[in-house]
Amino acid sequence: MKKQTLSFTLNDQAESIEIAPRTRLLDALRVDLGLTGAKEGCGTGDCGSCTVLLDGKAVNSCMILALQAEGRDVTTIEGLGKPGSLHPIQQAMIRSGGIQCGFCTPGMVLSLKGLLDQNPRPDEAAVRVAISSNLCRCTGYSKILDAAKTVIDGRMPPGAADGNDGAVGSRMARTDALEKVTGRAVYAEDVQLPRMIYGALVRSPHAHAKLLSIDTSAARQLPGVKAIVTGRDVEMGYYGYEVRDQRVFALEKVRFVGEPIAAVAATTPDIAREAASKVKAEYEELPAVFDPEEALSMGAPLVHDDVNVYEFDWESERKGNLCYKIEIGEGDVDKGFEEADQVIEGSYETPEAHPGAIEPHSSTAMVDSSGRATIWTTTQKPFAFRSYLAAALKRPLSSFKIIPTHIGGGFGGKLFPCLEPYAVLLAERSGLPVQMTLTREEEMGATLLRHPSKVELKTGVKRDGALVAQRVRMLFNTGAFGPYGPNTAALASLMASGPYRIPNLEITGLIAYTNNVPNGSIRCPSGPQMAFAVETHLEKVARAVGMDGLAFRLKNAWEDGDTTCTGQALDAVSVKECLQKAADAVEWGEPRTPGVGKGLACNWWVSGTWGTQTLIETNEDGTFRLISGCVDMGTGGMTTSVLQMAADGLGVPVESIQLVRGDTDTLPWDHGHGGSRMVFTIARSAYEAAKNLKQQLLKEGADYLEASVDDMALENGQVFVRGDASHSMPLAKICYNRHKKHGGPMIGVSSVLDDAPATTKAHPIGGLPAPSFCAHAVELTADEETGEIAVTRYAAAHDVGKVINPTGCEGQVEGGVAMGLGLALMEELREVNGKVLNPSFADYLLLTAEDMPPLKTILVERPASEGPFGAKGVGEPPIAPPTGALANALAEAMDVNVERLPLTPEEVVSLIGARRS
Amino acid sequence: MINDFEFTQPRDVSEALEALAEKGRVMPVAGGTNVLVNMKRAPLETDLLVDLTRLEALEPILSDNGRIRLGAGVTFARLLEWRPGGAVEGLMGPMCVAFAGPLIRNLATVGGNLCDASAAADASPPLLALDACVELESATGGSRTLPLPAFFQGVRKTARRATELVTGIEFSKPEDDERWFYYKLGKRKADAISIVSIAMTVKLAGGKVERARIALGAVAPFAMRVPEAEGILQGEPLNDSTIAAAAATAARESRPIDDFRATGAYRRQMVEALVKRGLNEVARRGK
Repeated sequence: MKKQTLSFTLNDQAESIEIAPRTRLLDALRVDLGLTGAKEGCGTGDCGSCTVLLDGKAVNSCMILALQAEGRDVTTIEGLGKPGSLHPIQQAMIRSGGIQCGFCTPGMVLSLKGLLDQNPRPDEAAVRVAISSNLCRCTGYSKILDAAKTVIDGRMPPGAADGNDGAVGSRMARTDALEKVTGRAVYAEDVQLPRMIYGALVRSPHAHAKLLSIDTSAARQLPGVKAIVTGRDVEMGYYGYEVRDQRVFALEKVRFVGEPIAAVAATTPDIAREAASKVKAEYEELPAVFDPEEALSMGAPLVHDDVNVYEFDWESERKGNLCYKIEIGEGDVDKGFEEADQVIEGSYETPEAHPGAIEPHSSTAMVDSSGRATIWTTTQKPFAFRSYLAAALKRPLSSFKIIPTHIGGGFGGKLFPCLEPYAVLLAERSGLPVQMTLTREEEMGATLLRHPSKVELKTGVKRDGALVAQRVRMLFNTGAFGPYGPNTAALASLMASGPYRIPNLEITGLIAYTNNVPNGSIRCPSGPQMAFAVETHLEKVARAVGMDGLAFRLKNAWEDGDTTCTGQALDAVSVKECLQKAADAVEWGEPRTPGVGKGLACNWWVSGTWGTQTLIETNEDGTFRLISGCVDMGTGGMTTSVLQMAADGLGVPVESIQLVRGDTDTLPWDHGHGGSRMVFTIARSAYEAAKNLKQQLLKEGADYLEASVDDMALENGQVFVRGDASHSMPLAKICYNRHKKHGGPMIGVSSVLDDAPATTKAHPIGGLPAPSFCAHAVELTADEETGEIAVTRYAAAHDVGKVINPTGCEGQVEGGVAMGLGLALMEELREVNGKVLNPSFADYLLLTAEDMPPLKTILVERPASEGPFGAKGVGEPPIAPPTGALANALAEAMDVNVERLPLTPEEVVSLIGARRS
Repeated sequence: MINDFEFTQPRDVSEALEALAEKGRVMPVAGGTNVLVNMKRAPLETDLLVDLTRLEALEPILSDNGRIRLGAGVTFARLLEWRPGGAVEGLMGPMCVAFAGPLIRNLATVGGNLCDASAAADASPPLLALDACVELESATGGSRTLPLPAFFQGVRKTARRATELVTGIEFSKPEDDERWFYYKLGKRKADAISIVSIAMTVKLAGGKVERARIALGAVAPFAMRVPEAEGILQGEPLNDSTIAAAAATAARESRPIDDFRATGAYRRQMVEALVKRGLNEVARRGK
């Protein structure tokens, strides 16, 4: 192909390169010019992560051919501000907390610059419009709008992060904000290695078929192809989470549309995809099953011939397409229904949903001469990935070294291997480093999704509103494989009563295999599904007994001493406080205006835990290295709260603690980032390690000063005898002496693995440590004719136990509300015959800045009895209540019965058509 | 998967027309916001890509003797800043606000939007309601103009010949008392592909409809007028019964399909509701 010359101005410098005409401006910047600040989230102009300024105007660099920029002026994030001389927008983004995972940040900053250069004093509506093409999945846009306001007003908003005051409770800015806001942070696809080639997958076009043969000969003949691998060339083992039912390639049969059957590597991504399309497979189609009820019925096609051959950690009935079944209960439900004055039934459904990270999966692997693989990848669980890979490829754990890159949004979508095994196999066969990145279409069409649910509820209630009995049947469709199905059902069983006292409970959870795309463990797994079912249903129950939704909930809500369905006794219960505060924020008690609806929903959730180990090591100058194997998927807990608590435990300024970034060879083992565990588990471990190290420092000081360790203190960089300032020693000197004269650093260590709180009934998950509680309230109107919903007010009250970093906590709530509202209003992956119909950000919609309603975040502090400071998890719970709160507000506004999500305009119109009388 | 084509960037219209007349497969590209989406999904079926972004002659918006001419290369961002007043602004303004998002508006052109001829193309309904014509030029065939309904020929299919370039869009400036209505129904507030969009202009005289143009997007293979519904209104006053009849007729005339954005039934129901809403608003605005 003939190359053509592109001459243009790039970040104020004249630039001239030879490129193929097909090269997009984005590729020219990222690949040819090495400027990786512009990201590719979709490649179809729907996400804005590739935004650059073209002659001062913000545009998608994926929508322009590089040659179209001939003679023009292009500004990328690298040209905007550098560390030390940041643009005011960049400063404001750091200080306001407008950055979480950071993947959208360069584009967001440039869109704001494009606006402010044209109009230095836009109102908030204009700012929302200007960033409405830039999708952010983390922040809910609130803090980005704060940042814009900061710049427009020329001053800090009240309470914004001011420098790195790292005290517990302060708004310390995240320590990785600078590299993210300047576009320097390295994400998985930014990794570039010498001689690197690119991989692509060959995927099944059938939902269920025998795989008769694979012919790779035509693909092999394509110039540039370096390696091809199929399931027949590899020794494969089964891998998974609770259940090991999956192999990296389909072998005898394919079980879902998109299941990998082969992988190809070539010198360019285009050739790799071309070669993948030339791999020919012969199939014999089999009857398929897509509906989970049908899958569990007699005579349904079997997705797996015998589910009992797979290793499984939990006890369960398993047969046919039943992947997992959980049953738990309390009292006598039938007797409870007899005692009840009314018994209300309902059935509620939620669709398949995507985690929606803007960064697609990407992995790069290199295999050394001993056969050991190094893998740069976007993962929430680097250590677990070693063991998944070891099982999948039947090799020792030590064969894999995982280098976690920055994660451009996780949300549970990066808890399980995606491209890693294929990249390793291709790197091995080609002898070259191999990078693989999913297209947005593959990302939406064939990665782990949120389980669709069908929840049936039957509830008995007394005339006075007291709940007496509830039977719940929950059915989740896990698709062709069940890596996280059992976990989802087990968590759902805990949520089936909501945070309410119900003396008689009967809960059944079922996970069905089908020939759909497999589902995973997406942020707050089962939470939004259960909050929708339980909270929508209980509102119906409240209406049946003529009670106000708030009064009904306050009557039945848990209090200290109440027990969950597993018999776990609860303390630090704050449901009522959250309910009251959220309700007050939308003026719940005020008389209703016709057509305006208000809705409430609450939820409870787990805080962590799983094991981790943190080390804090002295440097010879009296500063410290904090070493943890936990990655930060973008929430920022690692780069704020963990450091804040470590600094508090040591009694040193937070700036003196450096967070070590490493890999699975060098860092201590950790379970991974998920389960709302960053503060509760990791920061706690850091705090304990800090206290442990402080004790060692005091001891060292005491020995030098010939004092008792009990009399020692550490303040202002000095270790001294309390009450005797003349007996002191600089921290730096203690560390120096130790390093140079006494054999190396001092290391504080802490391993955390909580014993789960006691339960009276057996349950695979058991007691939940430090449960958190929350309540959301919403006000909305809906267009009677078109069904469009306008959310006019939203309040979210969250009990976080203790606020370690307010900016971080608010960011989790705001971003979680945005995600929950998306699930309530617009997010739905539609599969027909196992094929996803809308695998793009054009048709799988996330909330934009214009859709985000005014939000009031209320942080409640009811400290947990466990751990220092009493902090509880906040990462996951905010996404659960919006589904129920929206449904309840709509039910009130339009007098309808909501039974499924999302509440698209069409769904609302159909509800109005079937209006309850 | 492999896109292999040459690229040329003509400096003026005649150079562009010559390029389009070259042998082999030739494809023009303007803002690129459709062409590059297509290119991401499958190789472009072209040997030569002709970039139109340097054709200054396609950029002006002219108003002369009661005629308005939009250069085909006018971007939606530029259209959004345009303040022609009256029905033109009343239709084009909100259409531009609802068109994709600001990043795409900075690139996409009105000519490109019409040539892509998506059923849901946002520019089509307002321009149909303004009775616009498309100007086409070619190196050998001179120029011709086609009314929009004749320009649209099928799903992403137009009357443009491969050697032709759409250079402008022309329509008569409506009189000051022309009334209008615009609505785009999508699944979210910004950057949504329309489920249904509607644009109408209505001229009333003596309390009766002298002329109504009602245009619909996303409810047929390409944007359409609803001549029967318009005919029902002709010479009639706007009252509950004429409005209801026109709305029901428009719904019948629409040919929506089921897709994951909406069912055909809902789209048809929305055509009726929005035509009714529009005509009611038009009637109210006169009082």
